[in-house]
Amino acid sequence: MIDNYTRLLEAAAEVEDKDASDAAVTKLILHLKSSGRLKMLPQIARELRKVAARRHSFRPFVEVAHLKEAPAALRAANDAGIPAAHASVNHALIHGWRARGRGVLIDRSAKRALLSLYQNITA
Amino acid sequence: MHSIIERIEKEIASWTPEAGAEEVGIVRGSGDGIAEIDGLSKAVMSEMVLFDPTFDRTLAEALKDPLPIYGLILNLEEDGVRAVILGDSAKIYEGMLVRRMNRLLSIPVGEELVGRVVNPLGEPVDGKGPVKATEMRPIEREAYGVIDRSSVNAPLHTGIKAVDAMIPIGRGQRELIIGDRGTGKTSIAIDTIINQKNEPVSTRPICIYVAIGQKESKTAKLVAELSARGAMEYSIIVTAPASAPAALQFLAPFAGAAIGEYFMEQGRDALVVYDDLSKQAVAYRQLSLLLRRPPGREAYPGDIFYLHSRLLERAAKLSKEKGGGSLTALPIIETQEGDVSAYIPTNVISITDGQIYLEANLFNKGQRPAINVGISVSRVGSSAQTKAMKKVAGKIKLELAQFRELEAFMQFSSDLDAETKKRIDAGRRMTDVLNQSRGAPMPFEMEAAIIFAATNGYLDSFRPEEIRAIEAKLQEYLYREAGGILMAIKESKEIREGTEKDLRDKLDAFVSRNQSSDD
Repeated sequence: MIDNYTRLLEAAAEVEDKDASDAAVTKLILHLKSSGRLKMLPQIARELRKVAARRHSFRPFVEVAHLKEAPAALRAANDAGIPAAHASVNHALIHGWRARGRGVLIDRSAKRALLSLYQNITA
Repeated sequence: MHSIIERIEKEIASWTPEAGAEEVGIVRGSGDGIAEIDGLSKAVMSEMVLFDPTFDRTLAEALKDPLPIYGLILNLEEDGVRAVILGDSAKIYEGMLVRRMNRLLSIPVGEELVGRVVNPLGEPVDGKGPVKATEMRPIEREAYGVIDRSSVNAPLHTGIKAVDAMIPIGRGQRELIIGDRGTGKTSIAIDTIINQKNEPVSTRPICIYVAIGQKESKTAKLVAELSARGAMEYSIIVTAPASAPAALQFLAPFAGAAIGEYFMEQGRDALVVYDDLSKQAVAYRQLSLLLRRPPGREAYPGDIFYLHSRLLERAAKLSKEKGGGSLTALPIIETQEGDVSAYIPTNVISITDGQIYLEANLFNKGQRPAINVGISVSRVGSSAQTKAMKKVAGKIKLELAQFRELEAFMQFSSDLDAETKKRIDAGRRMTDVLNQSRGAPMPFEMEAAIIFAATNGYLDSFRPEEIRAIEAKLQEYLYREAGGILMAIKESKEIREGTEKDLRDKLDAFVSRNQSSDD
């Protein structure tokens, strides 16, 4: 029961198309009305917000230190199973790139390497 | 200068870092020392995670505070995990990156820890610099099985006459020390540690004292006392003070057990004191409630029994094939108003191999240690008792129990027959002989000699009220005049016929000398 409910929420959160999402919401409201559970609507909205936030935080993203590194970084990230459409620039990385998606992080930045070096030396 | 910068930039540009993929999660929320983490779907129970404060910062910012904060996964959930934060939880923020460490919570172990004071993560807190141990051990592990163990067969002398004579403890045993607050529980444990100084170095156990939820001033005093008595040479203190997060208080005994197991597996003996498990149970209850586990009796979680049983089961006497080492556990439980039938005390009583029960009434009457011999018991220690102690202490427990009954009866009747009066006087004498102040443990050969004198009527000619002074004189006399006899008892661990005759002669001389001087 909980699984079905979660899946429904996740499916609703994934609907990107405006018309489709409107239709889904209408159907949901009708369903809640017919089953006498319309009071649950605010709760459902809260849960949907949580699911959406979770999805957002796990969306695939690629960061590069310099724009010229973007094509190679996107290609490498895609090969590693992190499909991102574009890369954003983050100068804090110093050099290299990092990608995160589906709960996996690949960090090939100089910042990470320098930090590891510092931690190893000072440990 | 310009060329140097150019060179560095060129070096950086030509450098290709190597890094594999790692599983990460994101902090969804944090509070009361618990972090809710999204992701980490492949994480396992008791795995360590690392809250990375450097991920969202520039290198310069990150270098100001590069130290990671560790966490321990205690709940696996549908969308994520819940972990206890083993550090400053104020530094954890929503959206923080969490890395898996792919290892269970481990601490450094080894000889390097001896003489040190560390926290449950093995980090030094004594200001003596880093601990240079190279071996790491998971703090949670399965206890040794039946095949790997042997029966308890060597004594662990506490240096406390009442304990060594009536409630003997063996190496590898788990003996509970239980009583109300301020009845001398810690004193028994500390005296036991101090007394190990009397053991030969080859058989001297490494002592680990685990302080859980105690005042730091108490721990500092204890460390000072152990140092002053030379006991830190073979001791390790693991401390999770009252100010430490509940997670550390819950982990401290497991850290102590892991350190002790290292020495046990080297074929050596170790002694671990858990002071006290009541506070650990309270810390675990706090964590469990925060982790939203269902509360049971007294709001403790359902696995509170397993918490203590899996810890105490790690105390063992290993078989010869496994090196023959041992880990003796002295857990301490604090009772409320002497109620041993409360949840945690009954649990731990049923897990351990006996208990030393300390009573506030006896303590207030001046009996030290305030042991109630009626309900104190050692289930396996008697088989490890030395022949010398067995010989001299055989009937003490029975005689003292009879004395306690007669003493109660005496309150109703002032007119007593000669036999009863004799028994009561003998009981009083024996109680006074077994009285021993804090911080004065004695070698087992001296204990045996004094109890021999008491049970063989050498002290009968003295009035009960002068026994304490006479005992002190006797100790001094034996050290001065009967060194050879004491050495013979120490080496053979028994009182042989010849030694017994010599001891009797010396005791006769002592009695006649002291009686004549008194007269």
